[in-house]
Amino acid sequence: MEEIVFGIGITALAGALATVAGAAEDTESDIGSQGDPNSQVQLAPQMGYIHRIFNKAVAGEPPAYGLWVALGAGLAWAFMAMQINPILAIVLGSALAVFVQGVYATTAYLGRTASLAKFGQPVYIDILKSMTTVTMAHAFVAIFTTVAMCHLMISALGHPFPLPLLGLVWGIALGAAGSATGNPFYGKERQYQEQKFGAGVPISASGNIVRYAEAGQRNSLDNGFFSAKLGGPASGICFGLIVFFELWRTVVFEELNIWGPIIVGVVVILIFAIIDRYIEVWARKNFGPYTTPEEASS
Amino acid sequence: MSALGGPKQTGGVQSPTAIGIVISIVLIIVALGLAYYLVQMAGVIALVGIIIGGVLVAFGVHFVPVGGAPAAMGQSPGIATGVAMLAAGAGLAGLFGGAWAAPFGLAVALAGGAVGGGLLMAITCTMVNVIYIFGMGIPAASGKVDKDPITGDTFPEYKSQGTEGHGLPFISWIGGVVGGALGGLGGTLIYLELLDIYQAQLPVLLNATVEQIAPVAISLAGIFAVAMFLINAVLAAYNITGTIEGPHDPKFKRFPRAIIAAAVASAVAGIFAIALLELVGVF
Repeated sequence: MEEIVFGIGITALAGALATVAGAAEDTESDIGSQGDPNSQVQLAPQMGYIHRIFNKAVAGEPPAYGLWVALGAGLAWAFMAMQINPILAIVLGSALAVFVQGVYATTAYLGRTASLAKFGQPVYIDILKSMTTVTMAHAFVAIFTTVAMCHLMISALGHPFPLPLLGLVWGIALGAAGSATGNPFYGKERQYQEQKFGAGVPISASGNIVRYAEAGQRNSLDNGFFSAKLGGPASGICFGLIVFFELWRTVVFEELNIWGPIIVGVVVILIFAIIDRYIEVWARKNFGPYTTPEEASS
Repeated sequence: MSALGGPKQTGGVQSPTAIGIVISIVLIIVALGLAYYLVQMAGVIALVGIIIGGVLVAFGVHFVPVGGAPAAMGQSPGIATGVAMLAAGAGLAGLFGGAWAAPFGLAVALAGGAVGGGLLMAITCTMVNVIYIFGMGIPAASGKVDKDPITGDTFPEYKSQGTEGHGLPFISWIGGVVGGALGGLGGTLIYLELLDIYQAQLPVLLNATVEQIAPVAISLAGIFAVAMFLINAVLAAYNITGTIEGPHDPKFKRFPRAIIAAAVASAVAGIFAIALLELVGVF
């Protein structure tokens, strides 16, 4: 019984760490403009819209985070093998991984933006100076929390994978959850803030992203401020729920029956199916159709 | 043939060519023969498991509703990320669960892997709809079909002007969960087969007990499982080309080609994974 209580505590802690990781990951990727909405940041100058948005999407979020978290986890693992205190080892490993992220962000911004030179898009050195460090800070939070979570899974819950491999697995999952949940909010709601609320962006508006802020030109820090309100926390909840349910069903129900975690997993999936269907119907009922069915079918 | 002399237009669905099938079968037989030569019957069984696992991964990827960049602007339905990436996220989460349950036997581990992958997709797909509906005020609408095959909801009137649809209709949600589950199942199967091989070979090679080599065997099997997963997910993504809404999307019918490609890729990559220790032993 004590073991289960301990396991539940670790599960809750890992879920909390994952929530912070998801929120930091999405905010980082939105400040750096790394997710799919970056297609518009890349497209805008080609359509004549010069902007001051950061641009580092030379890799998708999942592989990028797979690399950074695996790197942080690998270094932390090496430091732990050198008998360094685990917390210090994780901090050091994450800090070193963040330097790689910084180099990645710098070269990606310079490379991607320089490729737009023939469309008149300048490389802003002040953008590079002010925003790279902000993405690095957010990346540190995301990497540190994910590596710490992986360390808990191994040392407290006894997962068989070594730390670097677990870092790769959960880094990719972190990027997948963060980009899936956070991207539409950054892409539609922020970059196309001038378009109608409650409707998709017409394809004809592609590239016409919002470039001006309350004062002066909009930059990626403004985007981070915006997506930290919903896209970031929602990504955090998404990744936190994934980690929590994944661990919880095993930690609590494995003792009762070896099939317990699987049955509970299926039940949780069914519950999410009901939640999803409920909000889908709720939206149809409350928002209503854009056109009447007759018009649509004509 | 069309007027321009190009290949016949088949709406994106191209059946595999005869020569392609023949080469695939030859490669698979060669790989199986090598597996038998190197590790006898255990090698053949492991390679068959790896091929089945790879095929499951590639087939599963076709179910996952991926909208890519247009989905991030609410211009097309699906999840706003890449096909291979999302499938990898789900499949690897499944692998995490499957590897954890490995000591309880094949059936429990495989089911654990499938549920792990399905769970990640269930939560992610639900959160995508939460963002679309409560963050952006946009209801779900498919661009490829007029009616949801499961719920019967109609879509044309819920599609905003100038877009191909948006959000995740319920059929896409189901597709996502099925795809995640198949990915988790396939990834776990590959992992377990390789783990068996390494656990049998490593003690002899390193002159150590099974307990002593367990960390090395688990790490190697895990890394190869991740790699094989990515190979098959990327192959399937090439077959899909861009975005797919799920099992109701016409592009879904392209899956036979991906299955053949995945079987060959898994056989060839799998033989390297199986032969790894033999090669290490030689040198």
